Amino acid sequence: MSSFIHIQETLVSKYGVQADVIKPEATLTELGLDSLSIAELMFDVSDHYGIDIPDDRANFNTLGEAVALVDGLVKEKGG
Amino acid sequence: MADSGVRRRRVFVTGIGLVSPHGGDPDEVFERLYRGESAVRKVRSGTAELGGDALLAQAEFDPAGIIPKLQLVVTDRVSQMAVVAAHRALSASGLLTDNSGPADMGVYMGCGLGGSQALQDSYRVYFERRSRKLKPATVALIMANAPAGHISMRYKLKGPALTYSVACASSAIAIGEAFRAIRDGYLDRAVAGGTEAMLNDGSVSAWEVLGVLAKEHPDGPGASSRPFAKDRTGFVIGEGAAVLTLETESAVQARGGASIAEIVGYGGSSDAHNLTQPAADGQVRAMRIALADAGLAPEAVGYINAHATATPAGDRIEIDAIKEVFGDHARKLLVSATKSMHGHLVGAAGALEFAITALALRKGRVPPTANLTDPDPECDLDCVPRTGRECPDLAVALSNSFAFGGSNAVLVASRV
Repeated sequence: MSSFIHIQETLVSKYGVQADVIKPEATLTELGLDSLSIAELMFDVSDHYGIDIPDDRANFNTLGEAVALVDGLVKEKGG
Repeated sequence: MADSGVRRRRVFVTGIGLVSPHGGDPDEVFERLYRGESAVRKVRSGTAELGGDALLAQAEFDPAGIIPKLQLVVTDRVSQMAVVAAHRALSASGLLTDNSGPADMGVYMGCGLGGSQALQDSYRVYFERRSRKLKPATVALIMANAPAGHISMRYKLKGPALTYSVACASSAIAIGEAFRAIRDGYLDRAVAGGTEAMLNDGSVSAWEVLGVLAKEHPDGPGASSRPFAKDRTGFVIGEGAAVLTLETESAVQARGGASIAEIVGYGGSSDAHNLTQPAADGQVRAMRIALADAGLAPEAVGYINAHATATPAGDRIEIDAIKEVFGDHARKLLVSATKSMHGHLVGAAGALEFAITALALRKGRVPPTANLTDPDPECDLDCVPRTGRECPDLAVALSNSFAFGGSNAVLVASRV
């Protein structure tokens, strides 16, 4: 199952992002996050799924790319 | 004192913003203090296994509408309180336009410990979860200058954003240094004050073992902070933030602003004696330097908001220092310790107490020392016991702040 729903819910509940602007093609910066809050978001998400995001793979811009990265890592973990 | 030859400009307090144990509205806070109301409560603190009852003066506040949720994630409580207090000060002074302040404004903040909740949380992950995976924002949450940085960013204030970490004198020094910078022409206006939020179990435990905290009084938690009283046992830790807007006379006039009080002097000294034991000599020098800076004789002063934390040794030393500086006039002074009601806000203490002092000048009313039913015979000045005092002729007042580490700071304000 895609991590999109979980990330979307986290962005709404914890970061106060409006649900209707959360689309796969949006960059996290466009959603109002800065470098620190992006790091916090990915920390929360990796904690939730029990995965590690290696530095050399943490190169995403859009929400869709972040979701793909998380989904890939969850699959590799065998989830 | 050295003569710098700098042309001195007048500096006015034009706004006060509070997040305090007595609330956020300065007039309401003052009235509650004037009536002698304590904000000290007994609170269950810490874990089920190790926690205990602690006497605390907590500050309630709601950052909603001031700090976006996106920012709350990376903002410790200590910074949240600072931003809310700064918002209230900028708003009260009339300097806030479209959520921004004047770009030329500086930020001068005092903070003793920084983001102590984030510090505790990070150690908990390391030691309890046995994990090195700390929150990515941990450093930004903990650093002591985060509050000043957040205020600067939030309100687009592009003057210097500085932080003074000098324990209990942090925010008096922040205000004093901002006053000097404005007076001597380095900037025209600043937000200045302090913030502290360390009522978490790890920090409270550290204060407990130092042996300086008040024991609960038989009359209840609110009766436990007892400065100048014969049966005083120590202080109650509080939390909160107090921020003032300071401006030159011409800056206030140019925008048609109103002033609450004028800052006329600031003095600092060090005891060079002991990390935690105060010394009268250092306090005497700080008060004398502040009065000389203001160009005022001791007889001009009508009220001192004392540092007076209610430790057995400290209050007596401060009274001795006041007697030495003021001589016979000490008997005519009013000296009160509002820590009896709002507790000791450490890095925010000096700013909250200076704000209260400015309001006392404006209102011609002096807040009391609560719980002063049985004075220590050695604290034999007029310490305004239990209820406030009408003082319509009050013209000049001092606010004393004396810190662990031996740093002393004294601010002098006058009525406008």
